[in-house]
Amino acid sequence: MLSILPQLLVNSLITGSIYALASAGLALTYSLLRILNFAHGHIMMLGAYCFLLFYGQLELSFPTAVLYSTLCMMAVGFVMLRIFILPFVQSSTLLPFITTIALGTILECAVSMIFGVNVRSFPSSASSNSMEVRGVYITPFQCAIVVSALLILGTLAFLVHQTSLGRKVRAIAENRSAAESLGISVTLITYGVCILGTLLGAYAGILVGYETNIQPTMGSSYSIKAFAAMVLGGLGNIWGTVLGAYILGLIENLSIGLDFWGYSLPAGYKDAFAFLVILGVLLLRPHGLFGTRSRAT
Amino acid sequence: MTNMIEILTSDYGVHLAILVSLYLILAQSLNLTVGLGQLFNLAHVASYAVGAYATALLSTEHSASFTVCVAVSISLCAAFATLLGAISLRLTTDYFAIGTLAFSAVVSALLINWKSVTHGVLGIPGIPRPELLGIDFYDNGNFLALIGIFAVITQAILYCLYNSPCGRSLRALAEFERAAASLGKNTRRTRNIAFCVSSAFAGLAGSFFSYYLNYIDPSSFGLGEMVFILTIVIVGSPGSFGGVIGATLFLVLLPEPLRFLDISSTYLGPMRQLLHALILFGVVWWKRDKLFPQRRTV
Amino acid sequence: MLELSDIFVSFRSAHVLNGISCSVRGGETVGVIGPNGSGKTTLFNCISGFAPCRKGTITLRGERIDHLEPYLRAQRGLGRVFQNFGIFREMSLLENIQLALESRRDTSAGFLPWSKRTRETIERSMTFLKDVGLDGKAREKASSLSGGQMRLLEIVRTLALGSDLFLLDEPTAGVSPRMKEDIAQSIRNLQSMGKTVLIIEHDITFIQKFCDRIVVLEEGRVVLDDTPERVRSDERLQEIYFGRDDRSARP
Repeated sequence: MLSILPQLLVNSLITGSIYALASAGLALTYSLLRILNFAHGHIMMLGAYCFLLFYGQLELSFPTAVLYSTLCMMAVGFVMLRIFILPFVQSSTLLPFITTIALGTILECAVSMIFGVNVRSFPSSASSNSMEVRGVYITPFQCAIVVSALLILGTLAFLVHQTSLGRKVRAIAENRSAAESLGISVTLITYGVCILGTLLGAYAGILVGYETNIQPTMGSSYSIKAFAAMVLGGLGNIWGTVLGAYILGLIENLSIGLDFWGYSLPAGYKDAFAFLVILGVLLLRPHGLFGTRSRAT
Repeated sequence: MTNMIEILTSDYGVHLAILVSLYLILAQSLNLTVGLGQLFNLAHVASYAVGAYATALLSTEHSASFTVCVAVSISLCAAFATLLGAISLRLTTDYFAIGTLAFSAVVSALLINWKSVTHGVLGIPGIPRPELLGIDFYDNGNFLALIGIFAVITQAILYCLYNSPCGRSLRALAEFERAAASLGKNTRRTRNIAFCVSSAFAGLAGSFFSYYLNYIDPSSFGLGEMVFILTIVIVGSPGSFGGVIGATLFLVLLPEPLRFLDISSTYLGPMRQLLHALILFGVVWWKRDKLFPQRRTV
Repeated sequence: MLELSDIFVSFRSAHVLNGISCSVRGGETVGVIGPNGSGKTTLFNCISGFAPCRKGTITLRGERIDHLEPYLRAQRGLGRVFQNFGIFREMSLLENIQLALESRRDTSAGFLPWSKRTRETIERSMTFLKDVGLDGKAREKASSLSGGQMRLLEIVRTLALGSDLFLLDEPTAGVSPRMKEDIAQSIRNLQSMGKTVLIIEHDITFIQKFCDRIVVLEEGRVVLDDTPERVRSDERLQEIYFGRDDRSARP
């Protein structure tokens, strides 16, 4: 049983990296606007399909496909914020949740009508031969996932905690109207940060497409997983969420990889387990593993 | 005109009437939590699924009678709601929404993966129509009478509940929890009751759903279904008894003309969902300041 | 009637109440004054159970209530009137009173809307509304009322609950000057019914008319506890409100 443990830890790191990229965007949006964006998983899905369209179907070169996908997702992020989130923020924190559920459904239906409901995957270009390091198998692409996640999250941490832009972001997260009265351009920064979150989500979606496969219905399950990471870390706590994402990856892989008293869970239960984690955390530590009581009620 | 009457008395009309009755039960019970209690309950479809599977399994594998199936479905849902309520009713809005969402995700993951019990995505076929007091309900007309009676009883009970002391307390604590508490209202118990009753009626609806279709599989209990029921409550304006009845009629019948258009069946499902999502968004946009008034705290 | 001994309340690291001891006899009217942030509302929240006390005991008619949940305290006769209006604006005036009557232990509330007991509750609610002259608006939403009417409704609602200890948190806040006399009248009514009343108020001239005693709070401590006349003439009151060095400014 223990011999498989290193492999499980590496797998957890890979899954965790994807979840961390996916949920960081969600946590950024939550910390600025105090809203739950249910469409975030669908944004991941859309990002992946966008890339599939440009790279897989229109057969553009890799950099052009990346550029076009980025532009597309920036536009989607802007429209989402402008039409589906910002008009409702003032009225009630629940309304953006409802409208983003509607948006998620719209995206899911649109994509399944255009691309069909079948499972798709990207044409794999990178060599998929796995390397063996001390009994642990890992493909170069999986290495790239982990490294790029660490790089992106590291840059994000640097931006948020060391730069003047990051100070402004934290000020808005803490107290929106006070930040506004200090002359910080709240609207501009909100747009910038949320579009950045959209791009992170889309990138995570593309990684999912390379690592496993994509289908139009994957959105809500990834949304709920990102919520799970947020609940683990405490709502609005970005680094708690990132850590929560890695913990979620660990829990998922351990739950199906290890056998308990000769009985191991079938792989299908992986999702159920992740969602049970949310309920468990809400029962035991309602404000997250690292959070104190949240300010927003 | 005669054409209309023909449609209404045909099998198709009976089918639509049964659907309307079913959704009346589902939507009005969701209105109890989402509307009156302002609790953003996303676990309603999970209760619906639990009720449906309980009835399906009991009647196919143990050939249990109608009364037993319905009673078990209802009490099982109430039990689940008590459990979930104990975890999530003490949380603030956002966490409550996530908690109930997680619960429905657990239920749908179990429906797909717990193959030894639920048969996974294959679903459970061959659910017999019920028999009661020597009358069998194999005929859709008879079945409509049965579900119609239950739908009317449900509406009556919920109408009384809305205007009962309990319903009043629920509305009061949704608006201003501390003021309700200082009027001697047990806020936690009131919420638990509402959550339990709402879930129990969803179980009843689930039970009828299995009986009517004779076959159930996990795809009927996805997020799309939750969005649909939520759309009914929001279009009917949360907390309004008559509004939800009207919205049920409107929204269940609205996509039916799509059927007569020449659209391939692969597009029909997504188009229906798309229509519902657009209506949901439109209504929220239109009524954004009235839907969920800001809760007051001191 | 109400006995507070050595109450401490803190939120995170901020100490809001630091050892408050005070006792209120039945039928007495006590004013609570103090500068902003001195802990007046927190004291009321602590008594009605919304702010848990870290240390100390609260006794109501000889029974310890500091471990009870808010609604149980309310059922034991503690009535609270909120500073920013505790009425339910989305409900009708009638329903507001019905809510209170249905919590009483001596009335059993009817479930069916047309049952005899429900009709009785409605009739009794109407008599309460008539007392404050709001019976004409019984079926209207409470959000249509003016500030003063809302306050009157809230007081009469607490009366319908059967409370014998009233906590009034700034009853004249958000009330037009014209309505202030109506509020004063309803407080005098409470006194004539033998109710015990605690009032938080900024306007000392407003409450000295009917208070038996005035308690002055500063930084979560009781500084003064005396008759209105002596509190008014006490130098410490001036110090609290106007600072120690500026004694020339008198109200």
